[in-house]
Amino acid sequence: MNPTSFHVLWLLCAPPALGLLTLVRPPRHGALVLLAGLPLPLVALWLLLGLDTGPLAGQLALGPLLLHWRLDGLAALLWLLTMVLLLASALYAAGYARAAPLDARAYAWLWPLLGGLATGLGLIWIAADLLLLYAGLELMGLCAVGMLLLPGSVAALTAGLRYLLFALVGSLTWLLGIALLLGAWGRLDLAGLAAVAQPDPVTAIAVALLASGLLLKASIFPLHGWLVPVHGSAWTPVSAIHGALVVKASFFILLLLWRLLLPDAIAGALALGALGSLAVLWGGVQAWRAAGLKELVAWSTVGQLGYLMLAFPLLAGTGAAVAALAWQATWLQLAGHALAKSAMFMAAGNLLLATGATRLEGLTGTSRRLPLSLLTFGLAAVTLMGLPPSAGFTAKWLWLQASLAAGQWAWVAVLGLGTLLSAAYVFRVLRCSFVEDAPEPVLRGLPLGMELVALALALAAIGLGLAAAWPLALLPPVSVP
Amino acid sequence: MAPAAAWGLAGLLLLVAGFCLVERQLWRACQGFVAFGLLMALAWLLLGAPWLALAEALLGAVLTGGTLLWTLRGRGALPRLALRDETPRRARVTAPLRWLLMLAWLGLTGFALLRLLGLEALTPPASATTLSAATGVLIMGPAVWGFATQRHLLRRLLAFNLLGSGVFLLLAGLAGPVAEVQGLILVGLVVALLGSVLGAALLLRLHAAAGLVSLEPAAGADP
Amino acid sequence: MSALLPLATLASSLITAAVIFMLPEQAVRTRTALNLGAALVKLVLVLWMARGLVAGETYAVEFPVVPGLGFVLHVDELGLTFAALSSILWLFTTMYAIGYLEGSPNRRRFFGFFSLCVASTIGISLAGNLFTLLIFYEVLTLSTYPLVAHRGTPQALAAATVYLRYTLTAGLVLMVGMVALHVVAGDLRFGQQETLARLADGQEALLIGLFWVLLLGFGVKAALVPLHGWLPRAMVAPAPVSALLHAVAVVKAGAFGIVRLVYDIYGIGFSAALGVLDGLVVIASVTIVYGSVRALAQQELKPRLAFSTVSQVSYIVLGIGLFGPLGTIAALAHLLHQGLMKVTLFFCAGNYAEELGIHRIDELDGVGRRMPLSSLAFTIGALGMIGMPPVAGFITKWTLGLGAVQADMPWVIAVLIASTLLNAAYFLPILNRLWFRRGPAQGIGTWPDERPPSRFETSAWLLVPALATALLSLLAGMLAGLPFSPLQWATRVVQQTYQVIPL
Repeated sequence: MNPTSFHVLWLLCAPPALGLLTLVRPPRHGALVLLAGLPLPLVALWLLLGLDTGPLAGQLALGPLLLHWRLDGLAALLWLLTMVLLLASALYAAGYARAAPLDARAYAWLWPLLGGLATGLGLIWIAADLLLLYAGLELMGLCAVGMLLLPGSVAALTAGLRYLLFALVGSLTWLLGIALLLGAWGRLDLAGLAAVAQPDPVTAIAVALLASGLLLKASIFPLHGWLVPVHGSAWTPVSAIHGALVVKASFFILLLLWRLLLPDAIAGALALGALGSLAVLWGGVQAWRAAGLKELVAWSTVGQLGYLMLAFPLLAGTGAAVAALAWQATWLQLAGHALAKSAMFMAAGNLLLATGATRLEGLTGTSRRLPLSLLTFGLAAVTLMGLPPSAGFTAKWLWLQASLAAGQWAWVAVLGLGTLLSAAYVFRVLRCSFVEDAPEPVLRGLPLGMELVALALALAAIGLGLAAAWPLALLPPVSVP
Repeated sequence: MAPAAAWGLAGLLLLVAGFCLVERQLWRACQGFVAFGLLMALAWLLLGAPWLALAEALLGAVLTGGTLLWTLRGRGALPRLALRDETPRRARVTAPLRWLLMLAWLGLTGFALLRLLGLEALTPPASATTLSAATGVLIMGPAVWGFATQRHLLRRLLAFNLLGSGVFLLLAGLAGPVAEVQGLILVGLVVALLGSVLGAALLLRLHAAAGLVSLEPAAGADP
Repeated sequence: MSALLPLATLASSLITAAVIFMLPEQAVRTRTALNLGAALVKLVLVLWMARGLVAGETYAVEFPVVPGLGFVLHVDELGLTFAALSSILWLFTTMYAIGYLEGSPNRRRFFGFFSLCVASTIGISLAGNLFTLLIFYEVLTLSTYPLVAHRGTPQALAAATVYLRYTLTAGLVLMVGMVALHVVAGDLRFGQQETLARLADGQEALLIGLFWVLLLGFGVKAALVPLHGWLPRAMVAPAPVSALLHAVAVVKAGAFGIVRLVYDIYGIGFSAALGVLDGLVVIASVTIVYGSVRALAQQELKPRLAFSTVSQVSYIVLGIGLFGPLGTIAALAHLLHQGLMKVTLFFCAGNYAEELGIHRIDELDGVGRRMPLSSLAFTIGALGMIGMPPVAGFITKWTLGLGAVQADMPWVIAVLIASTLLNAAYFLPILNRLWFRRGPAQGIGTWPDERPPSRFETSAWLLVPALATALLSLLAGMLAGLPFSPLQWATRVVQQTYQVIPL
């Protein structure tokens, strides 16, 4: 049996359906979640493996409206990643609900929102026209805001409202950009747009508007202000999936559109690369200075997203060999960071939940008393620092190779400084955990499942570094203009 | 020349939008928004998109407007908001970045329109669609201003909704009321509705928890 | 079979590490048995591979990580030299650590990372290309951090931070250099040194530049002056860690990296043609003399040994820099000799600290009578460091001298003589104190009164490893002519791998 559009539809609809089911009786045991959720990544994997004959594409007619979708290797890989992380977050959330005092009604709402988020992400991965992308982006964005606001503290509310206002305006800039594209070229499907659109000033302005909306949602420097306060107060499983995937989806769309509409805009690409570099440095410095553990992890997201932005200058006008390297580096970095960041959020959540602390100083002596969580944190940090063996390391090797081969030396310095900064903030945490002569707080016991989920994700990020050949072979080759 | 009814409608839209943005009495501003939504529905009808007109009336005027009104006078368990916006306006000098972004938004749009429509953009609109685009741009200007400079969250939500309507009008004006445009606007309306509902609910909870109606605790505290 | 053995060797420590992390802290016996068992298994595996290699078998594992870049494990004579050193010394260091840390907290963490550390050393020795080498090189950095920080005191944490600053920066430099080389020459396997020589036309300056970048990266772990700053500070770590850092893992990994760089990436002939070897010899000579002078100034035992390491490891670099087979033989033999002798010295220093609370050199008066066996081992190690026959160190210095003559660098002999005098100057006073001074009177001095709860002067776990390594360093010198002695093995490496005939 080969994958058909029916299976794609199933994978889109199953998560929210499951989420709505659980709204009635939110699960409190991981086994149930695993049983119900395991088909999702399995089907995604099956879709991925079934693509060896070529991408799957189709159209959906809604009256006079045609919606285009397309499932290629990249989309299927990202969908698989989404489903794995979704399941991991759900498993973690089931344990979290038992270990942390959560409001029962808010907890029940988590599930349909998770489901909606998965659908939104799935739509983004497979969308082949701007309308579908818009719908997916907004669905994802609204579900994400909803999830982040579930704790309901004043800090969370303020941060979430700010994020909501940003996101709403971001979506309007996106719509304005589409309006210009539609006015200029009269099409919304990406393939048709690629055929007719010329890189003239109107396209450039449209892409600039689209980009500003997307950069905001991807929390790329200097539009990152909303990310850290939101994560500081959000629930751990929500932070995990948000930091891992939601911000990446906006980046994915931006790269897609940029490659489609302005493949040769080297100055713009360099500007985006420069923004990314500033993000790496600023995020690193702020993470190094952060007082709280969750803030540290959130700032590290700001910094790590900067690496992804290097894709723009390295893909624009650099030649086939460099572009291929940068293309692989981008997706490897994205996947590795997604796995590691969610593992790190979960490990940090475990440490904070067990010690009852929020600041780094509260972690003294945890290497002895919470070794598993700390080990997970450390393993996730290995990927974030780009040290071997990990996906972050292999991706960094590819970044460096692409930068050196393209002669763009500045990125080498950025990658180097980013590595050192991330080592500085990671080892601030690890160092605290080694301190021996601190008073020992009472530890709260955690369900083992919470630790194992985080550990599995961290190990996956490590393993991906050595087994990168397999997913990279499934990637569609980068098209060079 | 576009028909006189279109000109009249455009003028009314601008007037009502302006009223919604400057009115500090929140109840009246929200009522104004409901009227604006109904006018928008009329505009879609005039542009030949009856289904969109229905959606606008339902989603925009009734549901979004109703949400905003309900936020002010609802019977929920949470304490009510004050009916008048007492927050001071932002001083122009303290928010240079806001102004820069605002001008960038409008400038980019204007430049792109000039490129797209040529000199026609500078003459009085000749058809209903170009009139719609012009109205959209004219609504966007004050709406961006309101969103960037006001503090009260309900008014910012209002400004966001008006801004969205401006973008919809521009979109319909540039590409005509084709199926793609209607689809985009429909999604946009749903997003605006959900965003408003979410924002209003958050605002009520924030107000209940900390007595705030804006994001800046120091300057915007409710008296 | 050919892929299985290297993987099994690597896995023997990796699995041990994983299992130890999973065992509860209290499972002391299980952990001890596991540690020793794994160390023995690994030693057997390495010796088995050495036997197979002599018999002409090849052992290799390879899979692509990304297109055009492979993870390669390839067993050759040179790698096996290092692997043998680390597995022999791991056995003894593990025994020693078991005794040394008896009853102290956090032993699960300690032995877990200890095993990981050794696994990465094995990985470094078996790596078949620069990418794989870098992977294990960085894992080594990460797994030694918890060992240096083990005690959790402010000094230990500060030292560990300094250590990280040096090694992570160096790792980064190394990575950039390796990627640049990869861009120039593709995925270079060790032993394909002709590739670079073929490419060289018109790119000499670039290749010379990259050589120094890579040397900078390896030089930090090898503690070349002025990149040695982390080493003396890392002395706050427990004695078995110091032994491991100095004799087996970190410093040696750096030196081994330089060996690979010169012989297997650039090739010795091409390096000489590029003119980088002269620079290497100068750096090594400066390090040798500087390390010795600084050692002389230290009043505490472990820092003195630390600076002695700085100095001694550069003999390896010096041997590499001397163009000619004898220099190479000396370098490789010293890789083993220095490990054996230095680990002995650290074991003994640990014994003194553990048993008598002695940290300073002037407290060593008369210790030879109280702890004769430890002091005997220390004496053998120290004499070896000075280069006295028949201890192993003599063999190295002698061969190095011959190599210097062969390479037509007579001034190197002056460096050797100066360093030998300095070595004597900082080791002989210690021996003098040990054996010829009177200690504090029984029961009233600084020494604890009670005898250790064993038949020997200290716990057998601490004494046996010290004596064993001392014996090995003696044998390595006395039986240097037998096959499978370090010297003969090094000669074999030179003959087999580099196809040059020694004098």
